[in-house]
Amino acid sequence: MLTLLLPEILLAITITALLCRMLSRQSETEPRLFMAVAACLLVAGAVVSVFFGPATLFYASYRVDLLSQGFKVILAASLLFTVLASRDQFSIQANRLPEYYFFLLTGTLGMMMMTSAADLLTLYVSLELSSYSLYLLTALRDERRTTEASVKYVIIGAAVSGIMLWGLSLMAGVSGTFLLAGMAQNAPALLAEPAFAAGLALTLFAVLFKLSAFPVHAWAPDAYEAASTPVTAFLATASKAAAVAVMIRLLMLTGLTPGLTAAFGALAVASMTLGNAAALVQRDVKRLLAYSSVAQAGYLLVGLAAVSGEGFSSAFFYALAYAVMNAGAFTVVLAVARASANDNPKLSDFDGLAERSPLLGLLLLVSLLSLAGIPPLAGFTGKWILFSAAMDKGRWLLVLWAVLNSVVSLFYYLTLVKHAYLEKPKTLAPVGASPRVRVLAIGLCVAIVLLGLFPNFFVTFAQQAVVSAATPW
Amino acid sequence: MSFPILTSILLCPVLGLLAVLLTPARMEGLVKAISLATAAVSLILSIFLCMAFDASNPGFQMVEFVDWMPSYGVHYSMAVDGLNVTMILLTSIVIFCGILVSWGLKFRVKDFFANMLFLVAGVFGVFMTTNLFFFFLFYEIAVIPMYLLIVIWGSTNKEYAAMKLTLYLLFGSAFIFAGFLYMYSLPGAHTFDLVALKENVAFAPDVQNWLFLALFIGFGVLAACFPFHVWSPEGHVAAPTAASMLHAGVLMKLGAFGILRVGVYLLPDGARFWAPLIAGLALCNIVYGAFVATQQKDLKFIIGFSSVSHMGIVLLGIATMTDVGFNGALFQMFSHGLMTALFFACVGWIYDGCHTRMLDELGGLSKKAPRISAFFIIAGLCGLGLPGMGSFVAELLVTIAAVSRFPAVGVISIVALLITAYYVLTAIQKAFYGPPSPHTEHLHDIGFFQFIPRAILVGVLVFFGVFPQVFIGFVSASTKALVGA
Repeated sequence: MLTLLLPEILLAITITALLCRMLSRQSETEPRLFMAVAACLLVAGAVVSVFFGPATLFYASYRVDLLSQGFKVILAASLLFTVLASRDQFSIQANRLPEYYFFLLTGTLGMMMMTSAADLLTLYVSLELSSYSLYLLTALRDERRTTEASVKYVIIGAAVSGIMLWGLSLMAGVSGTFLLAGMAQNAPALLAEPAFAAGLALTLFAVLFKLSAFPVHAWAPDAYEAASTPVTAFLATASKAAAVAVMIRLLMLTGLTPGLTAAFGALAVASMTLGNAAALVQRDVKRLLAYSSVAQAGYLLVGLAAVSGEGFSSAFFYALAYAVMNAGAFTVVLAVARASANDNPKLSDFDGLAERSPLLGLLLLVSLLSLAGIPPLAGFTGKWILFSAAMDKGRWLLVLWAVLNSVVSLFYYLTLVKHAYLEKPKTLAPVGASPRVRVLAIGLCVAIVLLGLFPNFFVTFAQQAVVSAATPW
Repeated sequence: MSFPILTSILLCPVLGLLAVLLTPARMEGLVKAISLATAAVSLILSIFLCMAFDASNPGFQMVEFVDWMPSYGVHYSMAVDGLNVTMILLTSIVIFCGILVSWGLKFRVKDFFANMLFLVAGVFGVFMTTNLFFFFLFYEIAVIPMYLLIVIWGSTNKEYAAMKLTLYLLFGSAFIFAGFLYMYSLPGAHTFDLVALKENVAFAPDVQNWLFLALFIGFGVLAACFPFHVWSPEGHVAAPTAASMLHAGVLMKLGAFGILRVGVYLLPDGARFWAPLIAGLALCNIVYGAFVATQQKDLKFIIGFSSVSHMGIVLLGIATMTDVGFNGALFQMFSHGLMTALFFACVGWIYDGCHTRMLDELGGLSKKAPRISAFFIIAGLCGLGLPGMGSFVAELLVTIAAVSRFPAVGVISIVALLITAYYVLTAIQKAFYGPPSPHTEHLHDIGFFQFIPRAILVGVLVFFGVFPQVFIGFVSASTKALVGA
């Protein structure tokens, strides 16, 4: 039990310790070392916990298997990355930093519980825990515009969570149980019930919101723009991964009706097209990356809509790749934001980056090309297996559209690359890269290339995770 | 296990790339030396490869096979046969000469050579691999560095040309991506291995037709097939000298190679179905490219459009679906690769000296710089198909095959060769003879060091022009097998 819940327990201890610290007199200082050590321990704990399980806890409402623990490693690593990046952030006032770290931790806890949630109420509670932490994190930045964006985020989020509750109540009402395992046992019969299918659709709708897929993507550009850059990075890495985990879990256990599959395909097309089209005209890099995340959600839906083992395992792999390449992109965004003393860097702030810091220029190049799906990088291999799952279901038109969309996306990614490599810098001041950032940048570059070139270990792990989650509980 | 010569050739630029990346940017001499050394090693290995190659064996030889992502049928598999053995040699010759030609580069040296080596690694990979996953992986690796090469070190409208080139090529590769995945999803497939796909999968007739069309669109873009050729002249013009050499010399051949390696090999019936269309498009390439070239004022544009025209000959050879036609197509790919590399190596030098490439502003170059002019004129003569040069035999083979398969197309393409002679000779006459123009004042002739790369290119061109049987011997067993497939 202790080993099974190791990441959650570690997080709970850290949260409590941080709370005690806030109540004591030290509350004015930034808990840097404390957070770094805690995040490192959490990553280690998550890795250890992978070797235990599978098990079902708390009256079958909490599932520990390779799928959940694998995602917890991604979440813990994202938290570690965010904590390390937070040392460079400058748009949150120092006296708010303890709260900032507190909500980072509670958000991570919520996301970890999402990956393990095996009944509807646990799912709802953990989803809300992570959502509310994210609302607050977004609002912590010290600007008027931020407040507006986070209010928007909260209002849309609250509406979506209401819709989700409605969906959950329909599912529970028709099936007579809150447990996902119970629903899985007679999923075909349940799916034939229109009320259950509608409930499932509404629940998935709420997960789409976390994934920032069409039609619930509108919050993403505002929230990405308004949040302090490390928070944006956290939204783009951890929050996305958790949403993918929930999506895999739900779809694996219930499946989809033909109508819902078609709807998924349509939403994927809309997400990709709209996200890419809107990203083409952005000047603010964080907004650009937000729209790119809408498009990326579309790619994920292409694979998830296959509702097959390959689709799930490749979505897992893509979530990992996505977290790594976004971490790379946001590392550069944060460094540029610092250098230009503006937490919303424009395209022109990237001018001459490759001359001012060759390493960060390379990291930007590698992460953006990976997002565009260019080999031999992580995003390419991820898309290859994601789309092959959809192709296996005979959806070649969807795949062709997705690949053509990747080509369109290359236009705006390359535009940013062009600013970094071609434009003359306005100042020749080097973009500050501390040893910590340099190590992080080299590590991320290597990780993106290795994930693309030697994917077998992680692909195999993802396949085993799906098998482990699909074995009867 | 025997010595993995193919992987070694591929690893040369990869290791060179890593070494260059780790070298401090200010040590430019070391960067150049590393690049040249790795290119030299891969050239020597390629020559060994040609010598060790068993020309009587039509199948894949020297196979290197490692499991990579077995659950998806992805294996690292490298092999050589008649189709790619000469292409590997061509690539290593062109990169070796390209690095020598760009020896005088002063701007962002490290980045430049890193990109060149990366690009070449991709090209080698495409030529060698027999797994569709790696084929696509290397195929795009070969495309992306081109963007940076043009956009950073290019000239004339470079941003527009670079973006256009990249988007065109990736638009094409989207069809290849979808086509490959479609093959994977067919019953009995679930592998990306070329040989396994050939053996295990029965491609239904309409599947063959549609798949081949998709692949042809994809590869046709890179082969500059009409009407997808518009990126190519602009790309050539904007690219820096060595990048143009690689691009026109080798990269465009990847498209034609892909049609043969994947399209014709796996989907022969689809290829036969679309052959008349390909022949028609190829004719458009030949005639249209040649006519447009007559109207150009910029030397690089003339070469760019002549490339479009010459790639038409390659496509026409493929469209005949006969072994003579394939031999001709491969021979044309090889000699055109050397020839355009030589062209660009000369134009680059002239542009650096005169700061113009406009025919009207040049004149009397042969008096001012006799050696570089001689090289240009040799390339020009090769381009118009002078006997004794590789192109002559190649064009002869393609025309023989074409006349028997598509008589009208064959005859018209012969006539089009006259137009080629016209624009080549006009350009030579305007730029190299007549009164010297003031722009040529500061032009120096090439020294001994810069003589070497161009001399290598001419030497190989003439060698295979005089002994075409050597080349035909390399390819004919495999092309026969390909036709029979």
